Amino acid sequence: MSQALKWIAIVVVAALALLPFVPGAVDAYYFSFLFFVFLYAIMAQSWNLVAGYGGQISLGSHAFFGLGAYTTAILWTGNYLWGSLYDSHPGIYYFDPVTMALGGLVAALAAVIIGLPLLSKLRGDYFALGTLGFGEIVKVLFVNGGDFTGSAFGIVAPASSFDTLRPHYWVALGLMVATALAIRALMRSRYGLALIAVRDDEMAASANGIDVLKVKVAAFAGSAFIAGVAGSLYTYYIFHVGPDSVFDLDWMLLPLMMTVVGGTGTLLGPILGALVMYAVFDLARIVVPDYHPVISGLTIILAMLFLPKGLTRLGVMQRLKSA
Amino acid sequence: MFNLPPPDILLQLSLNGALGGAMYGVAAVGLSLIFGTMRLIFLAQGAMIILAAYFVRALFYGLGIDSFLSLLIVVPVGLGVGWLLYQGLFRRAAAEADRNVSLLIAVGLMFLVQNLMTVVWGGNTAAVVTSYTATGIELFGVRTSFTRSMGFLIALAGTGLVVLFLRRTIIGKAVRAASEDMDAATLMGISPHRVNAIAFAIGISLAGAAGVAVATTFPFNPFAGFIFSLKALVALALGGIGNVGGALAGGILLGLIEAYVQFFISGGWTNAIAYGVFLLVLMFKPEGLFSRPYKKA
Repeated sequence: MSQALKWIAIVVVAALALLPFVPGAVDAYYFSFLFFVFLYAIMAQSWNLVAGYGGQISLGSHAFFGLGAYTTAILWTGNYLWGSLYDSHPGIYYFDPVTMALGGLVAALAAVIIGLPLLSKLRGDYFALGTLGFGEIVKVLFVNGGDFTGSAFGIVAPASSFDTLRPHYWVALGLMVATALAIRALMRSRYGLALIAVRDDEMAASANGIDVLKVKVAAFAGSAFIAGVAGSLYTYYIFHVGPDSVFDLDWMLLPLMMTVVGGTGTLLGPILGALVMYAVFDLARIVVPDYHPVISGLTIILAMLFLPKGLTRLGVMQRLKSA
Repeated sequence: MFNLPPPDILLQLSLNGALGGAMYGVAAVGLSLIFGTMRLIFLAQGAMIILAAYFVRALFYGLGIDSFLSLLIVVPVGLGVGWLLYQGLFRRAAAEADRNVSLLIAVGLMFLVQNLMTVVWGGNTAAVVTSYTATGIELFGVRTSFTRSMGFLIALAGTGLVVLFLRRTIIGKAVRAASEDMDAATLMGISPHRVNAIAFAIGISLAGAAGVAVATTFPFNPFAGFIFSLKALVALALGGIGNVGGALAGGILLGLIEAYVQFFISGGWTNAIAYGVFLLVLMFKPEGLFSRPYKKA
């Protein structure tokens, strides 16, 4: 990234971080809009890691998102972590880093368990189909999970301390920035180079001593971890975690679409794509409420027809990067 | 473990499962053709089936055209729509190395079609009720529904025609060649766009045929299509990707699995077990259950 772009990024993030202090901002419509943009940008980064940088098209992100959401809701309602501390500090599970990290870890663990057999056996489209099937299986498991998962209704988390969106906003912004920085650092490391090498030519990578399976599974698990943390974040917003809401296919399709519109395999693409696409969807929802999914469908088709390489590969962005 | 039910119930289960599964099969044949030439997972196939079902319903209630007779309209319209869809939407993306682009166009098309149907016909469940909807017939000594049996026949006939087309015509041969190796086929003078467009046209006309079967048999709503696409993908994998006859057989097998799981275990587990079988087949027999082993040159 060029110096100019770096400074723009720092200024934008600082401005966003200070936004909640502007009087009236918290109650404004764009505040929750930005929260969702951050959430989708995190999901888009998650998909971009495994598919954009890793070249393994996964169609199972919604499963990892849902696993993170459920883990958080189950830990919280069952009070499995903090014991008696919970009684004296009822807000302890709220944005609790341990709970959120566990949400990510459960998702990452699932990714390793399913990724080892899938990635060692399946390539390309077959892997995509396999992850799609995996997502459906996970959903059915949770629907049939009895009292532990709340079956078809799901779980309602105890919502004792939700009176402002401010913490959600900051946590989401922080996670989005942290995810982007982590991926940036990762892609500059030996591991990142190995991942790119595997994407570009598996055979050549393997011939150069790269453990292809290990690299792929690690990217899949890392992507799942990010999605799980995003799911955990969503639980604090929505409180009702149900199989039809958190395992909804949209949690996979929208981030995928945002990444491709923004530019796959780029750091800024997922963020830019999340902002632009969510703005289009939300605008359509407000302006033409009856037709908004029609507009969303049209937007995807038009974007793919005329911008197949993504926004970040437009001339303007290229010039900024080299500036 | 299980108490085996009397043979007539087993036969009833198998027959209903197979008849229902044939509909997944015919959807899978269309997917198989499109995947074969374009390497595209056409997720909008289910939405196209439901669109055809609404079309059949409109023909029946609007113009009084019998639903099975409307095959004569739906299938040619499907051919035309498929051709136009390819030329208008997928032609440019097919040349793109990044196949996410075509996948996303398919997703966009699915959103678009689903929601246009909601706008036009509403989100409620619709059905086509004819004088023969509730009629039953006797097959192998078991009673089954007339419309389901007709759906099965449509699936058989549709698949049969596609197989004949692929085997007996020169264009069919070109489609098969392109599915095996697009680069080599192009070098032999086969136009990729033409082959892709033909595969698409046939795929969508099969969606039309499946739409007739769905409209006459089940109640449907604009969002019922996606699950159909998923089931068709499972059928496709069971039968072996690129194997047209196998796709139909895979659909029937999936219908049988669903029927047995529903009866012996519980309706809630049908999907998990169907996808479980799907994953196992993908991993251990990716060439499908019904393909003859062959040696790659």
